[in-house]
Amino acid sequence: MRKLGTSIIKEIIILIRDKAGLAIIFIMPMILIFVMALIQDSTFRKMDETSLSVLFIDEDCDSVGLAIAQGLVRSEMIVLEKTYKGKILDRETLIRLVTEGKFQIGIIVPPDATEKLKIKAEYLIDKAFEDEEFPVAESKINPSTIILYFDPVIKQSFRETMRISLGKLTYGIESKMVFDLFSQKVSELLELESKLLYDPSGILRLEERSAGNKHTEIIPNSVQHNVPAWAVFAMFFILIPLTGNIIKERQSGSMLRIRLMPGSYWITILAKILVYLLISMIQFTLMLMVGIFILPLFGLPLLDLGKHFFALFVMVVATGLAATGYGLALGAIANTHEQAASFGSVSVIILAALGGIWVPVFAMPEMMQKFSLVSPLNWGLEGFYAIFLRGSGLIDILPWAGLLTAFCMISMAVAFYFLRLKKN
Amino acid sequence: MQEKIAIQIDHISKTYKGSTQAALDDISLEIPSRARFGLLGPNGAGKTTSINILCGLLNYNKGSISIKGMKLEKKYKKIRRMIGLVPQDIALYDTLTARENLRFIGEMYGLKGKELKNRIEEYLEMVGLAHTGHKQIRNYSGGMKKRINLVAGILHQPEILILDEPTAGVDVQSRNMILQFLHEMNEKGTTIIYTSHYLEEAEGLCSSIAIIDYGKVIIQGETKEIIGSKKEYTNLESVFLHLTGRKLRD
Ligand SMILES: Nc1ncnc2c1ncn2[C@@H]1O[C@H](COP(=O)(O)OP(=O)(O)O)[C@@H](O)[C@H]1O
Ligand SMILES: [Mg+2]
Repeated sequence: MRKLGTSIIKEIIILIRDKAGLAIIFIMPMILIFVMALIQDSTFRKMDETSLSVLFIDEDCDSVGLAIAQGLVRSEMIVLEKTYKGKILDRETLIRLVTEGKFQIGIIVPPDATEKLKIKAEYLIDKAFEDEEFPVAESKINPSTIILYFDPVIKQSFRETMRISLGKLTYGIESKMVFDLFSQKVSELLELESKLLYDPSGILRLEERSAGNKHTEIIPNSVQHNVPAWAVFAMFFILIPLTGNIIKERQSGSMLRIRLMPGSYWITILAKILVYLLISMIQFTLMLMVGIFILPLFGLPLLDLGKHFFALFVMVVATGLAATGYGLALGAIANTHEQAASFGSVSVIILAALGGIWVPVFAMPEMMQKFSLVSPLNWGLEGFYAIFLRGSGLIDILPWAGLLTAFCMISMAVAFYFLRLKKN
Repeated sequence: MQEKIAIQIDHISKTYKGSTQAALDDISLEIPSRARFGLLGPNGAGKTTSINILCGLLNYNKGSISIKGMKLEKKYKKIRRMIGLVPQDIALYDTLTARENLRFIGEMYGLKGKELKNRIEEYLEMVGLAHTGHKQIRNYSGGMKKRINLVAGILHQPEILILDEPTAGVDVQSRNMILQFLHEMNEKGTTIIYTSHYLEEAEGLCSSIAIIDYGKVIIQGETKEIIGSKKEYTNLESVFLHLTGRKLRD
């Protein structure tokens, strides 16, 4: 234990004096968070160009449902899915699929949509023509509700777009229906002057619900993408100081000396793992602080951490372990720090792109989406998304944490193999 | 239990992976206890290879090694406590200060507290670095680094001290200090094994020597005996010249 303590202190002093390493670990990711938060809008504008699968349940099976379906499909950026795995969708499945993040949007047109619209239109028309008897009581004229489910991960700006286009569609149906009734009436009561009353609130109202387990009220935003995304990215970048540390130790012959000291070799390696794991946890905490305290100063929304802090802790440790293992493996394989640093940073940037750090996975072309699953950075990000946005607990993030831990184990096995090999 | 022979090396051969030429070719050495033993030879002769094998840091292909009567492989744990290695290259953390380096190494050897602290100060004093012990190693000159590197190898007070070219590329002052230090260690009972390609320096320091070239032992024995064995041998330089037909210069 004493030796471990000594080794840990040694690693910490070395790291503290590595100014370039510290800058990469702590300053770079903060800059990235700011920059990406600023340009996120353009990222999401791009998303409009790719087509998006939308779950669609038409319980109305009348003009409103039909019109919305046609209108959405006409926009060409949207593909409507009315079935899932060969089965007609029901509400439960739709909500589940959106909750799990398999689809970003679900739309439900309730059964009475057309009916209610007709009633309201008739009422308006009748009122406009000032008929003697009102066929419909005013109390019955509730606007019908089209329900929209959004994956919490989806960006505010995109949700806005979606809502507006749906609004326009319903507006169009409404106007058409009123116009039809109106012209019918007009032909009935020819020569009668009238003014059409128009209700600006619309007959159909869109109700928006966030499809999260229990955690329904959370509003997803750029901060909740960018903070975990760049925190994960930064954690993997500890490979730069870590590989530098390992390779320098080997090149300087200190590693040889450590081999000569009884029982010191594994302790030294363990100390490195512990110190860099700790560093990655500090990194993550700092990035969260940026999201909570600094970004709001720039008019960006506050970062919501969800409420499962133990799950969060597990995810941070798992991601930190994966990052440390990766650095250790690269440090063991590479012969020079230049090799390790250039290969390491390029590989992390590629894995980040694949894993949805730069552009979220759902906005990628379909083919690329499949590849995202090979990236450990994606596993980390999905786990944090689950906690921050869907309110998931330990059980839900265990697959992601498990993958990351497995990745760490494999990396370390590779590292130990190469460290042994370098003996002669 | 006072063994007469500190180190016995029998017919060691070593060929590095990927290399066709043997770095060591059937080397046998006998190093007496409490000797000041010089393993001499030009660059590339196989001195570092021999020493790394001796310390258990490198595998070898053939032969056997025993230290104080114990087989190297069998009693490695015990043996490596008895050995102190001063590697050819500076094996220190260059962003740690001299004291931080020594404290780390000392604690990893199981030393602690006041004893370790005192020992560090004592040795720093001896190699003339007490006043610069708070500086990071990267700010040291080559000679200062060599001296700290030396202290790092003896902090745990090994019975056998192995030094790989401790004086190579070092200013005269540092060199004299190091040689003086080795004499003192030896007088206190430490067996000294040192490599060098400076034959003149070795002649002054070593009680016995072996000269190797191209991975083979050319001659070994007590320094005085070797020089006195033939009329034409005036010093180690001339011994090497006669045996190989070339001057030792690199
Ligand atoms: N890691 C290595 N891989 C391959 N060949 C090596 C390695 N280290 C040393 N050699 C070769 O082994 C021979 C002996 O080297 P070395 O023991 O370092 O010599 P010295 O220390 O006497 O200068 C040299 O020919 C050298 O090129
Ligand atoms: Mg050498």
